[in-house]
Amino acid sequence: MAEKHLIYLQPKPVRIWHWLNALGILTLCLSGAQIRFPEYLSFLGSYKAAITLHNTAGYLVSASFVCWLIYYALVARSIAKIYLPKMDDLQHGLLRQAKYYFLTYFIGWENPHHPTPEDKFNPLQKSAYLAIMFVLVPLVCLTGILMSNVEPLQGLIVLLGGMKVLVGLHFLLACSLCAFLFTHVYLATLGHTPLAHFKPMWTGWEEVEEHNETVADH
Amino acid sequence: MKPSTKIRLLFGLLLLILVFPATAPALENDDCMGCHQDAETVGENFAIDMQTFDHTVHAEMGCQGCHELVSENHPDDGAPPSKAVCLDCHYEIDQQYRSSAHAENADCGDCHNPHRVRGLSKVSGYDMNQQCGSCHDTAEIVKIHGRWLPQADLHIAMLPCISCHTASEDYVIVLNITQRESDAVFGDFVLSDYQTLKKRAGDQQVQNLIDLNGDDFVSLTELRSFNRNPLNGSLLLKGTLTPKQITHNVETLDNRWDCSFCHASGPEAMQTSYLALPTEDGGYRRIEVERGAVLQALNGTPDFYMMGTTRSASMNILGLLIILGGCLMPIGHGLLRFLTRKNRNFKGV
Repeated sequence: MAEKHLIYLQPKPVRIWHWLNALGILTLCLSGAQIRFPEYLSFLGSYKAAITLHNTAGYLVSASFVCWLIYYALVARSIAKIYLPKMDDLQHGLLRQAKYYFLTYFIGWENPHHPTPEDKFNPLQKSAYLAIMFVLVPLVCLTGILMSNVEPLQGLIVLLGGMKVLVGLHFLLACSLCAFLFTHVYLATLGHTPLAHFKPMWTGWEEVEEHNETVADH
Repeated sequence: MKPSTKIRLLFGLLLLILVFPATAPALENDDCMGCHQDAETVGENFAIDMQTFDHTVHAEMGCQGCHELVSENHPDDGAPPSKAVCLDCHYEIDQQYRSSAHAENADCGDCHNPHRVRGLSKVSGYDMNQQCGSCHDTAEIVKIHGRWLPQADLHIAMLPCISCHTASEDYVIVLNITQRESDAVFGDFVLSDYQTLKKRAGDQQVQNLIDLNGDDFVSLTELRSFNRNPLNGSLLLKGTLTPKQITHNVETLDNRWDCSFCHASGPEAMQTSYLALPTEDGGYRRIEVERGAVLQALNGTPDFYMMGTTRSASMNILGLLIILGGCLMPIGHGLLRFLTRKNRNFKGV
């Protein structure tokens, strides 16, 4: 019989960052869509309003990224532990977790990964977040900052391949982030109840079930 | 007085005029330029740069087109030659201009030197702002526009003022050849002049740097070839939006406050592009660029980008595929999850 208890999974700074980021990225996706397709979309009002909103949200997300980095790298000092996949994760964990999501989940087996504050992401999450937080988000922020300062940073922009390269990169990276949002939100519903993973991101506490080894070994 | 006496008197007067003309005989341009090319002889204000003047539309009329009456003893008698006013020929423009607020502050000559003025297509987009810049301080203009215009510095640097402050509804994209100001990697770009480009072109014409076959038409292939040639690394084609027509009621039209006037003009507008080539006389001449350069030639003009306007269809499709890829998990996995829900009925999900 599984026994339920609570663990403090998401510290307050992480939760604040997460929801600020969520709001920021959602705003960026919507305003970005209007900026790119102004003939068809005007839900945020004028074009200028969409640009102002996009720039504000962009700088907010960039700043919150820096805060997140400082918090995990310098304050909590757990960035490598949480985000870097271990050798075992790469050799077995990735496959084990993928097998769970795409096969054993459907026949009712348990998630092989049980989060703890020091090891809160499963191997697939670690790899995905590593790519997103250390490649995708910094790149989309940097290209965005360059694009909003074209005149003063013109020399650098040309050196990096010109506006079209930057714009293309920014757009495709943003689409990737948007694609991630769908997967991210969906996967968050795969807890022991659909809202089980949403609660800790709001309260900090996750309700976990203590299992005997036979079940956990699946 | 008898009528016959009147006729005799008039005849006599006519004879007098013919025998002793009040002004010198018709002068040729060369006669004038004998003195007026030399600033030391006639002074800075009256010196004419013949090479520049020759390429103005006014040169066709000759000096006497505007300075009709020149006394025989000019300049010793101190009598200034007659001077036409712009209104004599440009009546409609004058009417238009008089209705604008600018008319109170500047006359035609304050913006246009009749001995230097060139048509719209014979100046670069950047030169078009010289007139405005002689009264309006650039920093001040950036500051004023910055109150409402995003990236005001970029707009002011990249666009002729008349792109917004003229009533033209149609626009063309003019590509100018620019080069790094210095050898510095981050150096700014400045307009390339004829001499620099000629040196680079060697035995060939300047236009052959881009228009490879010299047919006065730049194809997208030629444009790409120029942009991808590593030898052209220090050169950069910069596009600017210029109005097709000029109106002189220099004003801010209501629709220009709306960014989407330029930034969402759709696929049909602003597809006409020209390459502005510097000419030996210090002016420019335009060569047509293959239609579609703005919207379709993603690789053709790597540094010309107008948000919302120059987006690429292939990039949109790629972006859409990425987003759809992200939806595969919720849709595909969600469906299987729903179908196999009984296997997890102990949790009810």
